[in-house]
Amino acid sequence: MTMSLSRFTRLAALAVAVAFGVGTVAAPAAAQEKPRPGGVLNWFDYGDPGRLDVHAESPLVVQQATAGVYSGLLHYDPDDPSKVVGDLAERWTVSPDGKTYTFHLRKNVKWHDGQPFSSADVKASFDRVLNPDFKSPKCGASLKPMVASVEAVDANTVEFKLKFAAAPFLPSIASAWCRVAAKHILTKYGDLNAAEAQIGTGPFKFKKYERGSVIEWEKNPNYFIPGLPYLDGVKQFILVGGPTQLAAAKASKIMLWDTWPPMRKTQADELARARTDVDVYQASINTLFLVFLNSKKPPFDNADLRRAVNLAIDRQDLVTKALEGAGVPCAILDPKLAGDFALPLDEVAKAPGCRPKEQDIAEAKKLVEKHHPNGLDIEVAVRQVGNYVDRAQLFLSQLRKIGIRGTLKTHESAAGYAAFGKGDFTIIATQDRAMDITDPSAVFHIAYTTQAGSNYGQYSDPKVDDLADRALRESNRDKRKQLYWELQRYLLAKGDHASIAVGWVEGWFFKDKKLRNYKPGLTVYDNNTFMKVWIAQ
Amino acid sequence: MRAALARFVIGQPLGAAGAVVVVVLIAVALLAPALSPHGPKDAAFAPYVAPSWEFPMGTDQLGRDLLSRVIWGARLSLYVGVASVMFGVTLGALWGTVTAYLGGAADAGSQRVVDSLMALPPIILALSLMAALGQSVNNVILALVILLTPTAARTVRAVALGVAATPFIEAAQAAGASRTRIIFRHLIPNCMASYIVLVTTNISYAIVVEASLSFIGAGAPPDEPSWGGMLTAGIQALETAPWMVFFPGLAISLAVFGLNLFGDSIRDLTDPRLRGGLG
Repeated sequence: MTMSLSRFTRLAALAVAVAFGVGTVAAPAAAQEKPRPGGVLNWFDYGDPGRLDVHAESPLVVQQATAGVYSGLLHYDPDDPSKVVGDLAERWTVSPDGKTYTFHLRKNVKWHDGQPFSSADVKASFDRVLNPDFKSPKCGASLKPMVASVEAVDANTVEFKLKFAAAPFLPSIASAWCRVAAKHILTKYGDLNAAEAQIGTGPFKFKKYERGSVIEWEKNPNYFIPGLPYLDGVKQFILVGGPTQLAAAKASKIMLWDTWPPMRKTQADELARARTDVDVYQASINTLFLVFLNSKKPPFDNADLRRAVNLAIDRQDLVTKALEGAGVPCAILDPKLAGDFALPLDEVAKAPGCRPKEQDIAEAKKLVEKHHPNGLDIEVAVRQVGNYVDRAQLFLSQLRKIGIRGTLKTHESAAGYAAFGKGDFTIIATQDRAMDITDPSAVFHIAYTTQAGSNYGQYSDPKVDDLADRALRESNRDKRKQLYWELQRYLLAKGDHASIAVGWVEGWFFKDKKLRNYKPGLTVYDNNTFMKVWIAQ
Repeated sequence: MRAALARFVIGQPLGAAGAVVVVVLIAVALLAPALSPHGPKDAAFAPYVAPSWEFPMGTDQLGRDLLSRVIWGARLSLYVGVASVMFGVTLGALWGTVTAYLGGAADAGSQRVVDSLMALPPIILALSLMAALGQSVNNVILALVILLTPTAARTVRAVALGVAATPFIEAAQAAGASRTRIIFRHLIPNCMASYIVLVTTNISYAIVVEASLSFIGAGAPPDEPSWGGMLTAGIQALETAPWMVFFPGLAISLAVFGLNLFGDSIRDLTDPRLRGGLG
């Protein structure tokens, strides 16, 4: 259900755009055309990744920078991104109790440096992300609760033992964050941060990384699927800031904008006026707009003050102004993406923080006055990417209504992540977190549980952990749904969690009409390898 | 007083026009809380509202009243301009006067420091300082002080060297006056004309540097109503809301134009070579 709805949102949006004329005949033509090898696809990263370790990092730019270089055991089908299919694994079997998965690997696969690929590489990669001492905010955070051990049965077979039969296991393994790295490279470099360490088995080789400027891949002529990729290479320009990104799009310097940050309506309109050779479409990107409070430091180690901020945030106003209306305010799970695992929006709209603001503001003011009769001065952190600074200004305006006076502290993208990861902040005014899988468990292991990959506020609530864990283990769909409803109701009613959901992000995107066989993934992270994409004459 | 004012208006009509702009700028800055219809940071309205009776300069991308932000922007610009120039030029003038009088190694050494600071392109130096200090209005002032001080030191030193060579300074030395007395009673008062010109002409420079730093995101924090920051927000919606660029741009141009005209007229008035022409 979640997959089909997500797929509908993302893929149908493109289809609708095509049907209503913006796409003209590109899609039907693509189905009949013979793929044309050659050409370089240009698109962009919203910021400089800095570090490139796909297992240890969580920014989208890290994923984009390395997506085509690596392969996974499984991945989302480039022809139908709603399906999980084999990548390095040719096939897999599941034990009757659902707790043992055996993956049979492709033979004769070579790393980009010519070394042979084997099950030892798979074991080394997953042992790394599952290591309790290794911080893996995406792959590790999603697999650690489920996976007990990984064993190499023979050179071409790997076995995963699970702690319980977990529905999200296969989607998690297929996530673009769970890529297989070479054991000899991990041994040589210790991590995957350096450009030289980008040795994968994927359709493209990592060619160049010029800090702050460009990342380039080149075709892997020895890719294990003969005939692929079609493109000679992919070039990702590092374009920081909306005006720069839009200027590059208008000047035809990029062929694709299907990444974060989405365009706002005014930008999409401006682009549509400037270029007639693109399909512009609106879609959701499976991404939640959050505010984080540091629960380990004053003043937000105080539950009353966390509750006050939760009450003060006007989600509707933020979505209306910062996202130009393209988003779903208040929801912890978006019904468009998570289906009926999400609480009905009319119930969410009555929750504290989401209901009409007068009552919430009055209550929040009292909570602030109780502890700080003269108001409170704080530093508000924000990364200078996308339209975060605009969002932060709106947020500050809302906080002033309850007596919290904020001063903005801006961070360069990678520096911001480093500071947030160390807990070096008081409030993060805005931080989008994209889901790495479409399962409803994703949002909780990303933002809400104690071990969540982006639990920047370092908040721990045993009841949240318990409900999230029980829901993950539950195989009965209806019972699972009830557990997720209970968890959402608990978070909304209590209102003192250090991760505060503002709303689900939607926006506008475009692709050049010459680009063929590009299928947007169900999450912003997936299907960015471009292995089957080609450029028409 | 009235006659002097009339002479100034007749003798320096452009300077008088500049003075009017400066007076208006100061009045707007001082009376900002009373003049602005809304809070400059209150995002309480619909975004991108075109100029109308309700919002004479329209609203910005977050639904803030642009008129209120432009009015408060005058306060911020003037605060940055006056504070940085007062500190920077005063510090530079003292530095230049003292080292000019002391001469020798003190003068030579300090002038090499001035050379080093002046060798760096001003905007690069300001950017580096802001990157090191962090974004805040007071740090913009600090960066400007560091920019303005060497220029003022070099200019005032040149004047002070001339004054130091005059017979009345020699007479003071012969009469046994201390160095401190000579510097503060004789040298500094005789360099005041240059100091006043430097102050009046550099305020507009400081305003432009602040706007430039804020425009590239390295100046005042983004929520502060800085004219340069408003321009940055405006160019992101140039086609949708051109008023977001027009009004802050107009404010910067008017303020700088007025301050420059006024500064030029002060220079003309204090320059002995031009003074005769005022008749």
